Amino acid sequence: MRPSFFHHLHPPTIPARQARFRYTLAAGGLAVFLMLILLVTGILEMFFYIPTPDEAALSIQTLSFLVPYGGLVRNLHYWSAQLLLVVSAVHLLRVIFTGAYAPPRRFNYLLGLFLFVTAILLDFTGYILRWDEGVHWALVAGTNLVKSIPLLGKTLYGILVGGGQPGAATLIRFYGWHIFGLTLVAIILGFWHTFRLRRDGGIAVPPPALRVDHERITRFELVRREVLAMLLTGSALLILSAFSPAPLAPPITNAAALTEAARAPWFFLWVQQLLKLGSPFIWGVLVPLVVLLLLVLIPYGFPQPAKAELGRWFPKSNRAAQILFAILGLAILSLIALALIPNP
Amino acid sequence: MRRSLLAASALLLLALLAALWQESCRSKPVALTPVLTGQVEYCLTCHADLPEISRSHPVKTFGCVLCHGGERLSLDADLAHSTMRGGKNPSGFSVVEASCGGDNCHSGAAADYRNHIQRATSSIQATYAGAIASIRYTFGAQPDLTARLGIFAIQAPQSASGITGLAAFDPAQETNPAIQAFAQDCLYCHLSAQPLAEDEYSRFSGCAACHTPLSDSPPTFSENGGSHRGVHTLTTAIPYTQCNRCHNRGNYDLRSMTFVPRDDHPTGRLSDYYQPIAQFARCEWTLDCVDCHTRAEVMGDGSLYSGKKEIQYIQCRTCHGTLAELPNTKTLTDPNDLAFRLAFLNESAGHFESAWRLEVGDTILVTGKGEPLWNIRTLSGGTYELFDKATRQRFTFRPVMGSGCQQKADEQASQDCHKCHAVER
Amino acid sequence: MPDLSRRDFLKLAQDSLLALSGLLGLGGLIRFLDYQTEPPAPTDFDLGLASNCPAGTRKVIPDVPALLIHDASGFSALSLVCTHLGCTVEEEAEGFACPCHGSRFDPQGIVIRGPANKPLRSLRVETTEDGHLHLYTA
Repeated sequence: MRPSFFHHLHPPTIPARQARFRYTLAAGGLAVFLMLILLVTGILEMFFYIPTPDEAALSIQTLSFLVPYGGLVRNLHYWSAQLLLVVSAVHLLRVIFTGAYAPPRRFNYLLGLFLFVTAILLDFTGYILRWDEGVHWALVAGTNLVKSIPLLGKTLYGILVGGGQPGAATLIRFYGWHIFGLTLVAIILGFWHTFRLRRDGGIAVPPPALRVDHERITRFELVRREVLAMLLTGSALLILSAFSPAPLAPPITNAAALTEAARAPWFFLWVQQLLKLGSPFIWGVLVPLVVLLLLVLIPYGFPQPAKAELGRWFPKSNRAAQILFAILGLAILSLIALALIPNP
Repeated sequence: MRRSLLAASALLLLALLAALWQESCRSKPVALTPVLTGQVEYCLTCHADLPEISRSHPVKTFGCVLCHGGERLSLDADLAHSTMRGGKNPSGFSVVEASCGGDNCHSGAAADYRNHIQRATSSIQATYAGAIASIRYTFGAQPDLTARLGIFAIQAPQSASGITGLAAFDPAQETNPAIQAFAQDCLYCHLSAQPLAEDEYSRFSGCAACHTPLSDSPPTFSENGGSHRGVHTLTTAIPYTQCNRCHNRGNYDLRSMTFVPRDDHPTGRLSDYYQPIAQFARCEWTLDCVDCHTRAEVMGDGSLYSGKKEIQYIQCRTCHGTLAELPNTKTLTDPNDLAFRLAFLNESAGHFESAWRLEVGDTILVTGKGEPLWNIRTLSGGTYELFDKATRQRFTFRPVMGSGCQQKADEQASQDCHKCHAVER
Repeated sequence: MPDLSRRDFLKLAQDSLLALSGLLGLGGLIRFLDYQTEPPAPTDFDLGLASNCPAGTRKVIPDVPALLIHDASGFSALSLVCTHLGCTVEEEAEGFACPCHGSRFDPQGIVIRGPANKPLRSLRVETTEDGHLHLYTA
C-alpha cells in the first residue's frame, strides 16, 4: 500500500527491539495523544466556559450537568491532563533509565524537560480556571509564592495576578495563559522536540557496529502499534471519564474567605509539604528550581551512558544519574504520599 | 496485530457506548425559573415531590434557592446542597437574614408590620434573657432582675424598655457553680437551641421552631383538628402541640438545677395541653395558644425585655371585658388594615370553604396595646364570635358585663377569673 | 459477493467499528454544540395600561420593536422589523423606510419598494382583566 500522510510522518523503519512496549512504555507517544485529546476537549469546553469570577464556576456546572455529554467532555479533559503529567514523568524516567539523553540528544532532553514544566503549568492554570472553593487555597498560596521572590517578586506578582489580589483580572490572565500562551509554547516545544527526535536519529540505539539486534519494523507496523495504543488509551479514558467525574466545588464568592480544606493540586502536594518547613521562597521556589536544575544537569554534569549500552534499560555507565533521579523521584512521591494521608 | 486492532476498535466502541449510556442514566433536568429571581434552578429534578411550603411562598414565584441557598445548576446532590443556608432549615437565626430577610420580605419596616426578623431575634424566646437574668440574680451574679445577657449578643437601639443591648451569656465567665450547671443543662429551650433528643421535644430552630409544626411527635389527638403536617411547611395556624415542644414539658428544681420532665400519659387534649399540676379555664385548653397570645407577646415588639412578664399582657378581660367594661373593639374601615392581612395569611381562615372572612365594616376585638384580634369579631346582640386559628372551630361567647359573674368589681384580673373558672382535673 | 480474504474482512470489521464510533461521537458532538445556554427572547410584552393609549394614538414600542395602533377598530400592532434582513424600520410621513437597504412600506406595512418582498407583520394585542395591554410576537 502507499504510505499516507501519517505514515510519512514516521521514519521508514525503526529498530525492532527499541520499538517494543517494554522498552519505551509508549510514554512519549501517549503524551502526544493526550495533548491532542486536551486540545480537542479544551476547544469544546470553550463553547461554554465563561472566564469571569461570577460566571466561571457556574458555567462549569452548566457544562457538567446540563449540556449533553458536557460532563464527559470535561472529565475527558481533566483525566487526560492528569494522565499527561503521569505519562510525562514516566517518559522522563524511561529516558534517564535508558540513557537516551546522551549526545546528540542532550538539547532534546532539555526541550522535553521544559515541555514537562509547561504541561505542569498548563495543569495548574486550568485548575485555577474552576474558580471554586476547591482551588481557592492554591490560588492564594500559589500567587503569594511568586511574591516571595526577592527583587522580582512584586513585578512578577503584578504580571501574574493583574492587581493587588486575585480577582477578575487574574482569571482572565490565567485563561489567556491556559488557552493560548502556554498552549502555544507547548505546541512549539512539542514540534521542536519531535523534530529533534527525528534529526537525532530516532529512538536511541547503539551505533550499527555495536548493535546486537539489527531487526527493524516498518512505518506501517509502527503506525499500527500507535493506533492500537490510542484505541486502548481512548477506551480507558472514556471509561474513567464516564464513571469518575472531575472535581467540583461551590463558586468562590468572597475573595477573602477560604472555606474548604487547604489543599494544593495533587502534582503540587510535594511543594505544599515542603512549605511546611519554613520560608516560602526557599522551599516553594528555590528547592523546586534546584530539582529542575539537577534534572537539567544530568546530561551535562554526570557520566554519560556508553554508546554500546544505549537502547536498553538500566545501563551501568550512567548509574549516577539514575540514582539521582531515583532519589529525587522517590522524595517527591513520598512527599505527595505524606500529604494524602489524612491528619489524625 | 490486526486482531488486536480489531479488538481494540471493539473496545473503543464499547467504551463509547458505556459513556453514552451513563449519560442517559442521569435524570432529565427539571428547570424552574422563579419570578422573583429570573435565574433558572434545577432543584425540582430531584425534589419535585416536595409539597408547596405555604400558600404565601409558591415555588413558581420564589423557587427554592432564594430561601435555601444552594447551587442552582448542580445535579450532583453534594455540590447542590453544599452552599445551602442552615442545612435543612434556612430560618435558623444565624442565616435567617439572608434567607428570610429583605425590605419586601421579613426584615422590613416596623410601620409596615414587616419587621419580623428584628422582632423575633430580640424576643424573650430567642434571647432567653429572662431565664438568664433570673438565674443570675438568684445566685448573686447580678444585683437585680434587669437583663444584661442573652444567648447571643444583640443590639436594639430603639428598644422601648431602656435595654438597648445584651451581651452574650458566657458560662466560662460565670463563677457560681449553679449558674454553670444552668448553662450546662438548661439551655435547650430557646429559639436557637438544639432540642433534647426525645421525640416530644423535636423542633427546628429559628423561625421554623414555631412556624414549621412537626407531626411526627406524639401525641396528636383528633380533638386537635389534626392535620398532620410534614416538614416542608410554613404556617401561621400553629397548634398548641408545637408550643408544647418547649412549654409544659416539666418542672425545674433550682436548688439542684435539674429539670424533671412530666411523666403523665395524656389521653386527650385536656390532659395533654397542660401539666397535671395546673388548673386552667376551659378556653385555655380548648383554644390554641395562638388564639390568645398576640404577635407582640410571642414574637416580641422589637424591644429587649428582662422577662416574659414585661411582654405578656393578654388577660381574660382582653376578650371578655370586665363587670364594668366591654372588651375593646375596632371597626375595620381601611381595606389595608393589618387585620385583613393577618386573616389572609392564616390558611385556616383564608383558604377553606367555611372560611373566616373579614369584611370592611366588621368590628373585631383589639388588645389594650392596639393589636388586632382578627379572629374575634362582634356579632349583633352583644355577643362575640371566635375562630380558632389552628382547629378552625368557632365559638360564641358573652362579655362579663351583664353576666352572673360573682367576682368583685376591682378583682377582674385573670387570676381572679380562675378562682371560679379553672377546671378541676 | 467476491471472496473476501481474512485480512480484508478484519480490516472491514475494524473500519466499521471505528466508523460507528465516529458516527456516535459525531452525534454526541452535535448535541453538545446544540445546547442553548441563554433563555429564548421574550414573546410577551406588557405595554402598560390601555387607558394610556387613547383612540387615535400611534406609539412606537422600541423594545419589541413594534408600532402600537389604537384606532376605530381597536388595538393592533405592526412589527417594525424589516422583512428583508431584520433592521428596524423608521416611521416616515407616508409609511416606513428601512435605513439598511432602502425598503419602503406604506402605513399599513405593505411593501412599496424592495428589496423586501413581504409586508410588515401584524402582531396580536390583547387587553387583560386588569386593563393592561399585552403584545405577542409569537
